[in-house]
Amino acid sequence: MISKKDFKKINDYLWEIPRSFRYDMRVPARIYLSERMLESTFQDRSVGQLINIATLPGIIKYSLAMPDIHEGYGFPIGGVAAMNMTDGVISPGGVGYDINCGVRLLKSEHPEKEIGPHLDKLATEIQNQVPSGLGKGRKIKLGADEVNKILEQGIPFLVKKGYGANKDVENCESEGSLEQADASTVSDRAKNRGRGQVGTLGSGNHFVEIQKVEEIFDEKVAETFGLFKDQIVVMIHTGSRGLGHQIATDYIKTMMQAMVKYEIRLPDRELAACPINSFEGKNYLAAMAAGANYAWANRHMIAHYVRESWKKILGEKEELELLYDVAHNIAKVEEHEVNGEKIKLIVHRKGATRAFPPGHPEVPERYRKVGQPVLIPGTMGTASYVLVGTEKSREAWYTVCHGAGRTMSRRAATRKFPGNEVVRNLEAKGIIVKCHSFRGIAEEAPLAYKDVHNVVEIVDKAGLAKKVAKLIPLAVIKGE
Amino acid sequence: MKKFEILEHTADLKIRAFGKTKKELFLNMLLGMTESQKPEIKESQKIKREIKIKSLDIETLLVDFLSEVLYLTQVNREIYNDIKFTKFTETELEGELIGQKIERFGEDIKGVTYHGLNIYQRKDRIWEATVLFDV
Repeated sequence: MISKKDFKKINDYLWEIPRSFRYDMRVPARIYLSERMLESTFQDRSVGQLINIATLPGIIKYSLAMPDIHEGYGFPIGGVAAMNMTDGVISPGGVGYDINCGVRLLKSEHPEKEIGPHLDKLATEIQNQVPSGLGKGRKIKLGADEVNKILEQGIPFLVKKGYGANKDVENCESEGSLEQADASTVSDRAKNRGRGQVGTLGSGNHFVEIQKVEEIFDEKVAETFGLFKDQIVVMIHTGSRGLGHQIATDYIKTMMQAMVKYEIRLPDRELAACPINSFEGKNYLAAMAAGANYAWANRHMIAHYVRESWKKILGEKEELELLYDVAHNIAKVEEHEVNGEKIKLIVHRKGATRAFPPGHPEVPERYRKVGQPVLIPGTMGTASYVLVGTEKSREAWYTVCHGAGRTMSRRAATRKFPGNEVVRNLEAKGIIVKCHSFRGIAEEAPLAYKDVHNVVEIVDKAGLAKKVAKLIPLAVIKGE
Repeated sequence: MKKFEILEHTADLKIRAFGKTKKELFLNMLLGMTESQKPEIKESQKIKREIKIKSLDIETLLVDFLSEVLYLTQVNREIYNDIKFTKFTETELEGELIGQKIERFGEDIKGVTYHGLNIYQRKDRIWEATVLFDV
């Protein structure tokens, strides 16, 4: 049984379990948390999972967890692990089933008072145009050839087809396209699941939200990002849908069987992993990259439909510019400095967001002086945040949290918060809710999550990123 | 004997199923998964689908079976509420799924995980299994 006494305090916001805690740990395990929140992590198995990651071959420095840590399968949500490319492993559990679940923010040119009267119409139109994918709505029917192009090229392919513009490529993490993607490593099953789902939202904690900028914390960075107080913005949170889920399923199964021949034994079955340089490892990296490209294409198309809705209600001249798009379930090949040397690592971020510092070459030129925009979606009816990357975050492979983190099971939330009451509470706060089922809403009740303000506060105080703006929802759309 | 029950889990869906035989256990876990997808039936006409799975052991067989069923439900927009097994061993199964076309799903299941996977026979001879689904 792990308890507080097993942790060493590094500083007020960083705690470490030393390697000596368990015989099979290759590195220490670290969590970014306040002392008060540390107690609550023992309520589920997240810490045990963090220790399990520390046993993975090739892991560098430590296994890490962000303040929104909670139990997942294999990796905890909020888990981060970087492996060297020579003898390290890659693990689908370190990415998650929803490959490249992530979030993007679109900026309007208007303050709230100009948009206010049109909010309900906008929300209704967005709900009509963006299907959840669980119902009938098939927005685009893609041929097999086009699916492969999306898998290998991501957003640039859709821009070539006339959807969106170059800024949508520049202002996206990895420019919406990972070069390792190879459509031949993605099974037909995955492609079949994905064919009818481009431009769909999914369910659960996925959403489109019309929000406003309630508070600016850093004027200079906000100006560089093009954010101002009371500005109306639109946030989109979704992932790679059935295609990504199937890629994860396929490769977890493949790797579980292949692990035997590489003599890899791990404490948890979900931590299936193979050497990055193995046949299975290379194929997974290529397939995961394809899934990531698909998710970016998905968010790009949803943004397109949101823009169409915007134009329909407010007029053809209306623009919604992309601020940035971040992934929070992904494995990336990145160069980092380790012991004074620059080496290539595979960084697994599961329920964690990349946050590059000022000056980093992968930050779009227009933001490079201040750092990478980081988007943290909050729970329904609370708040979301825009942060900016810092140099201090280098200690965490330039990574921060991804959201609030659940504290209550979906089932408990459904029992405790009747769906219609959750909607009523939101509407009492003046938030418009467009959803298909009350049950789905109940599971996402804000009280079922950790306090996003706390999580972001810890990230800020630990210096991993700086707060730039706080966004509050005006309308929540959960898809048809 | 209950067919299945939904258990507590912070972020995902955990189902425990029961059966007097392993075949019944598999069917009841299938029913649990189906119900959790909250399907809205389109038409009552019965449809049939072949299924054939090979795995390492009975536990991975259960997960691989459920994964295949999940795939079939999503791609064909159907759900299944019965299965007739023509072959069933510790590492292989073959059979015919019986179900209906659906209008929409109320819930999306992303994947069937191997997390905490456990199949065993209780003292009262009832088979029990717990599976975690990513939602």
